[in-house]
Amino acid sequence: MSYESPIRDQLVTGGKTYRDVTRDVTRPLENAPSKSWWIGFSISTLVLALWIGATTYTVFVGLGAWGLNKTVGWAFDITNFVFWVGIGHAGTLISAVLLLFRQKWRMSINRSAEAMTIFAVICAASFILSHMGRPWVAYWPIPLPNAFGTLWVNFNSPLVWDVFAISTYFSVSLVFWYIGLIPDIATVRDRAVSKARKFWYGFFAMGWNGSTKTWHRYEVISLILAGISTPLVLSVHSIVSMDFATSLVPGWHTTIFPPYFVAGAIFSGFGMVLTLLIIAREVMNYKDYITEAHLDAMTKIVMVTGTMVGMAYITEFFVAAYSGVEYEQYAFLNRAFGPYWWAYWTMMTCNLVAPQVFWFKWARTTPWFIFIMSIIVNIGMWFERFVIIVTSLHRDFLPSSWAMYTPTITEVSILIGSFGLFFFLYFLFCKFLPTINMAEVKSIIPTHHDDHGHNHVKGENHAN
Amino acid sequence: MQTNKYILGVYDNPDKIYSTTKKLINKGYKVDDVYSPFAIHGMDRLLGIKRSNLTVAAFLFAMTGLTLAVTFQVYVSKIDWPMIIGGKPNLHIPTYIPITFELSILFTAFGMVTCFFIVNRMFWGKNADIIDPRVTDDLFVVSVQIQENKTDIQALNQILVENGALEVRERIKD
Repeated sequence: MSYESPIRDQLVTGGKTYRDVTRDVTRPLENAPSKSWWIGFSISTLVLALWIGATTYTVFVGLGAWGLNKTVGWAFDITNFVFWVGIGHAGTLISAVLLLFRQKWRMSINRSAEAMTIFAVICAASFILSHMGRPWVAYWPIPLPNAFGTLWVNFNSPLVWDVFAISTYFSVSLVFWYIGLIPDIATVRDRAVSKARKFWYGFFAMGWNGSTKTWHRYEVISLILAGISTPLVLSVHSIVSMDFATSLVPGWHTTIFPPYFVAGAIFSGFGMVLTLLIIAREVMNYKDYITEAHLDAMTKIVMVTGTMVGMAYITEFFVAAYSGVEYEQYAFLNRAFGPYWWAYWTMMTCNLVAPQVFWFKWARTTPWFIFIMSIIVNIGMWFERFVIIVTSLHRDFLPSSWAMYTPTITEVSILIGSFGLFFFLYFLFCKFLPTINMAEVKSIIPTHHDDHGHNHVKGENHAN
Repeated sequence: MQTNKYILGVYDNPDKIYSTTKKLINKGYKVDDVYSPFAIHGMDRLLGIKRSNLTVAAFLFAMTGLTLAVTFQVYVSKIDWPMIIGGKPNLHIPTYIPITFELSILFTAFGMVTCFFIVNRMFWGKNADIIDPRVTDDLFVVSVQIQENKTDIQALNQILVENGALEVRERIKD
């Protein structure tokens, strides 16, 4: 049932027609890039160079280039990995979960959120590769017949599950994204004037011609892809959390981890989506598509998931106290009042306290304020992973093994550089692909009638 | 007798094309297809398109992925090279669940999407059979197949125009 309610606010403002949507969205693709695009792209390329340099250095020198020691064997690498995977959760959540819940406001933001997912997972995977120290044997976790008399991988290990989860998530997200892009690529193809553009967009449009038979099947597979991506997105971060939760380290060995990590992933993912979209709507002038109502809806999700994460922090403390296990109790007291107290309280402030401002309507609809908040959310979520990983490890079972961890300049460069990689890909995406799903947005803007108003039933009750 | 001649009615409004198509079908014209920049809800039912079997394909692919994943993990850890890790049993069903789940999803997505491309005859580099370049922008086209000695072209044109067609033209498909 598709009913344009006369009471609800319109999802796209400015009285856009179908043609306006096409023109607005294809403008950055068909014209020379703007000055702000060039500035952003150049900066991200420079930062990407930093990433390439620092990663290459690590590969040549080995993990001795990092500040790891016998006690803290995981630090910046896995923190950054979990951080990026978490950011990669909002895209699929927006397109899949919100599709199943028929949240039509997703339609003007899902494309760039999905792109963000893919780029964030690429960043995450780069940390997995570099933390192996010998990335040329990165295929070892894959169960392949091998030279050791076919010594297989250990299927008990959550690290092996993670390899399957992340690669499945990446490839399914890529397929979902591409399927959504096909009708829009066809739009660009049909408007193309240059030969190269006609060829390349024609190549990837796969002969799309907008026939109802194709649209019917398209809607069926979109729904199923959404249906399978929803449990997938929940499973991926659950499995990431099991990398920790199935171990015996106090502070990691917690059954609350899967739901808590998933909530955190959605929280940080929406934080990053807000950061990107607030810039995009300014720079590309998409204020009629990404309206304040969109920001309002997203900040509500940020607030809810932030509070869930905060609740999980407090629950962990309660469980540690209630369990009576000394190691567990020490681990949590050490987090809050030990040598890394500043990381813990940064996390608490950014993730639990700060998002509470979104109870106020003003905070939810003021773009510059949301932009600052989205950065705070990202800082908070990075520190959450740092706190979980480093503060749990640095106090070993034997006090003689206790150690501190300080990152080296190489590690900091890889972290900063990974943002370069992310934004480099994102800027290319903005230049070459439609950043707003035109076909979907056209289906929600009101038809322009010569004779009567907007409130009408568009079609019969329909399964999709 | 069916011919390879089609009459196209071009519209700029999904509601108009929906009502026109409904009229054409009620009057017994053979509506071949409707082309639109986005899915018009209810149009597939109107054209009598049966619900796609891709859902069944998806389920079968999921089962394939599930079976392969379970078989492989059992074969590796129980039959081919049993190892005792941490004193745990060789056959450890619960730890197979994550990989089984992921592979089922992977097979469903790739299998179903491949089938989707096959049934639509879509492939990379295909030359699109474009009805109108603006059909991916803001126009909606209904295509009616002419049946020899049966279709009254004059009357058909009139229906199309009366219902707000911007343009009516003929198309020959080879």
